[in-house]
Amino acid sequence: MDMSTLPDTFDSAIDDALSWISDNGEGLFDFIRAILEGTYDGVLWLLQLLPFYGIAAIAAVFGWRLVGLRFGIAAGVALVVCALMGLWGETMGTLALVVTATVLALAAGIPLGIAAGFLTTLDRILQPVLDLIQTLPPYIYLLPAIALMGFGPATALIATVIVAMPPAIRLTALGMRMTPREFIELGQASGLTGWQMFSKIRLPFALPSIMAGINQSLMMAFGMVVIAGIVGSGGLGETIYGSVRTLDIATSINAAIAIVILTMVLDRLTQSAGKGGKA
Amino acid sequence: MNIAHKDVSEILVDCRSVWKIFGTRAAAAIEAVETRGLSKKDILKEFNCVVGVSDANLQVRRGEIFCIMGLSGSGKSTLIRLLNRLIEPSLGTVMVKGKDVASLDAAALRDMRARNIGMVFQSVALLPYRTVLENAAFGLEVRGVAKDERNKVARAALDKVGLSDWTERYPSELSGGMQQRVGLARALAADPEIILMDEPFSALDPLIRRQLQDEFRQLTKSLGKSAVFITHDLEEAIRIGDRIAIMKDGVIVQIGNAEEIVTKPADDYVADFVAGISRIHLVKAHSIMQPVAAYRGDINALPRAAPEADISALIELTMQSEHDAIAVVDNGAVIGVVTTRDLLRGVAA
Repeated sequence: MDMSTLPDTFDSAIDDALSWISDNGEGLFDFIRAILEGTYDGVLWLLQLLPFYGIAAIAAVFGWRLVGLRFGIAAGVALVVCALMGLWGETMGTLALVVTATVLALAAGIPLGIAAGFLTTLDRILQPVLDLIQTLPPYIYLLPAIALMGFGPATALIATVIVAMPPAIRLTALGMRMTPREFIELGQASGLTGWQMFSKIRLPFALPSIMAGINQSLMMAFGMVVIAGIVGSGGLGETIYGSVRTLDIATSINAAIAIVILTMVLDRLTQSAGKGGKA
Repeated sequence: MNIAHKDVSEILVDCRSVWKIFGTRAAAAIEAVETRGLSKKDILKEFNCVVGVSDANLQVRRGEIFCIMGLSGSGKSTLIRLLNRLIEPSLGTVMVKGKDVASLDAAALRDMRARNIGMVFQSVALLPYRTVLENAAFGLEVRGVAKDERNKVARAALDKVGLSDWTERYPSELSGGMQQRVGLARALAADPEIILMDEPFSALDPLIRRQLQDEFRQLTKSLGKSAVFITHDLEEAIRIGDRIAIMKDGVIVQIGNAEEIVTKPADDYVADFVAGISRIHLVKAHSIMQPVAAYRGDINALPRAAPEADISALIELTMQSEHDAIAVVDNGAVIGVVTTRDLLRGVAA
């Protein structure tokens, strides 16, 4: 075989495979897309039930209870700033994307992490896969997704879920393996069943690590939804992408500020919720 | 025959020729023990396996506190874990309440651990995210006892160890001694017949340790529990135990009560250990007395003591009288005489 044609053969094989999948799996992918967009629309609709000051007030109260009074006030004021910049709709769009993607990532990642914590074989298979996901540049995941799902929030969600999942899996698995030996022995000596050992001993000890995983997933999701602006995700990511293309520096800076505000508020809130769970 | 039968029924824990060998070639090593009777040293040399417990025989009777004393690496922690099968014996049988624990299936084993054998750990192992009350109720909780009922029992157990004011606190708010009391209350709340104590007081400071030793002995006796108590401290074993087993390199070197261990050590190793132990509360009149014929004075004038009176009590008596000896009286008859010389020999020997 002529070596010079090898790359071309490889490329065309990939292209053929992708178009075969998109042709034959059309119904399936339309279905997935409908579910994802439906979920996203639902979350966005919920977030828009309240006016901006309502959401800001909720953030302020949670910030006050979980972190402290000063943070609560700062969080409320910062969210009002997002609205005053004329970016409230986009901010909520981004929040809806991040929340939907994180919840999906956790729904898959935490059970997978628990399984990996117990099954060393699964853990050995998962490690290189997670390494690969985390070393590839994140926008790579947009390409196959856009080929299969088209332009829009569904593609952004898929790519974001892929990027947000690894920390949840890793830190959950770690937490499961971190149970101090003497407590395993206590469980055995007290006659615990396998399920009781999991629910009453391993899980509570793993909780801080799992909460750290949730926080990290959320942060990864924030990073990705901005990049996903390229594929028409809606929200602040698309605003930034649009303003960069038209060199509208003022708008892009405003949108960036709104993202920073949203990220910091959610970061602090989830971190404190994690510490609160430790008691 | 009858008496023998009664004795057997009273034995709660019975270890017969129990071995534990650790290592990848443990199975082959055990075969060698069975067929060729290899020693610990030979097993390490030939099979590269470590013998944790070697041919251990012991019986714990109902209501008895049985101490296992040994230094670290002597196999005492392995031995206590063989009793509730946290570690599987390589050879031999462990009987608890007449049942071979090796024969129990998973459910029966869980049931035995939950109901018959409690355990208290050196590390205490209180769950940090639970209150003191929830920790004490843990054993009942996993057995499915309703919340009101288990809290009531746990409160009563905490009351016994003097912690009734601390039920809603978290373990991190308690001192080391208090934490270990919670550990004891947790074991007592499940109401087991046997309590395994794995060096529970070793990490505590001396004053608190003494206090807990006395409380533990008093509590165990008043509740009629049996206990197997692991320690590296011979004084603790003497203070707490009805009988003491001394372990060295996986072998039980001697089993006996405190007086037997101190006055008749089985070998140089035990003798070294007991050398520093004060005998004045251990050695009794009957083991140091002279025959009545050996005393030249008037026996009837002497102050009197029971055969079980210890040296400390005899010294006290001697100080109060102007005589140089004490008559040992059993059932109204003088059975021997303890002179001042005998007392000095009893303290020094």
